[in-house]
Amino acid sequence: MLARGLKITKTTHMLVAAVATAVAANAMVAVQFTGLAGQVVLLALIFGSLAIGTSAISADIYARSSLTVSNLRSIGASSRSISSAVLVPVLVFGIAGSAFGAGVGAGLGMTLGGPGGPVTVLTEVLAVILTSSAASAAGVFAGGRAAWRS
Amino acid sequence: MAQLGVLQKPAEPANQSKYSVELKHVKKSYGTNGETEIYADLTFQLLKGTFVALVGPIGSGKTTMVNMFAGLERPTSGTIIVLGQDLTRMDEDSLAAFRASAIGLVPQVQTLIPELTVYENVELPLHFAKVDERSRRDKVDKVLERVGIRGEADKGVAKLSVGEKQMVSFARALVNDPPILLMDEPTEALDPLMSEVVLGLLRGDNMTEGRTIFVTTHDKRVTDLARRTLRVNKKIP
Repeated sequence: MLARGLKITKTTHMLVAAVATAVAANAMVAVQFTGLAGQVVLLALIFGSLAIGTSAISADIYARSSLTVSNLRSIGASSRSISSAVLVPVLVFGIAGSAFGAGVGAGLGMTLGGPGGPVTVLTEVLAVILTSSAASAAGVFAGGRAAWRS
Repeated sequence: MAQLGVLQKPAEPANQSKYSVELKHVKKSYGTNGETEIYADLTFQLLKGTFVALVGPIGSGKTTMVNMFAGLERPTSGTIIVLGQDLTRMDEDSLAAFRASAIGLVPQVQTLIPELTVYENVELPLHFAKVDERSRRDKVDKVLERVGIRGEADKGVAKLSVGEKQMVSFARALVNDPPILLMDEPTEALDPLMSEVVLGLLRGDNMTEGRTIFVTTHDKRVTDLARRTLRVNKKIP
């Protein structure tokens, strides 16, 4: 209900999921063809780009709904309850998109002749999902915090 | 700078435990250097369970007063104690929690959430006050019945008339049975018929009984209902 009041719509969900899917899929393919140092750089890139993306999305939600946020505050909404309404859907769809993208990327990498065995690929998939999930959470938190302060 | 004067009954005896709101040497000014002074040194109390009206010219700081009582605006200096809580010492989230449990606010400008239904708008304060779902349903049903908009519960508020929206604001302010009800020009934007409905609510025992009511108004019919009327004498330059 609160998310609806803050104008968080299916479009918002789709945007988050699509960004996370694209980043995770591309990174997952690349991860399979690089050494450890390259993988670290790639994971850092995933984290950075997704954090910036989700930060912008959450800041945009607050900006579009600044009047609503102010109205909700006047009837007792805490920053935590409003942040949760933004954080949860962005996080859920960010993780879902990351998982889907990592899966697609893993399959594509193996099809293209990636050198890793199933265990290695599974480990890489988990690393990509964890990194992108953490990035989504950090981005949403940072975006919300910046918007809240302003 | 605005000055506050008592028009009708004098201030009640200074017994701290009897007061729901206490202002002590409150100063409020706006601007980066505080160049626009609204209140210079305001000290007064509101007795628990009393009905007080605040009148004065447009732009004299009446809404600022309501906002300070609700913790939505902080005084530049001084102390505001509401139900024993010093609002000037509370952080934003503590103030929000306090508002959710203790303050019903009917603002001058509509603050309903247009994406939500009447029922959902009225339910929101209970959600923030962490009331369980069954109690929320009971309370919302009762308050919608009380203000006469039970039949509109499932309508989106965007489709309502100004008067109906005001009724939703009332319902939302009353749903948690707050000990303090703040209203900012509650009859200003209403046609005569809807004004009478609002006045009828203010006359009703279950609206006013045991509750401290503070209302800003230009409407003599509202001040006639109040036990005490305060006047802001000057318009802010």
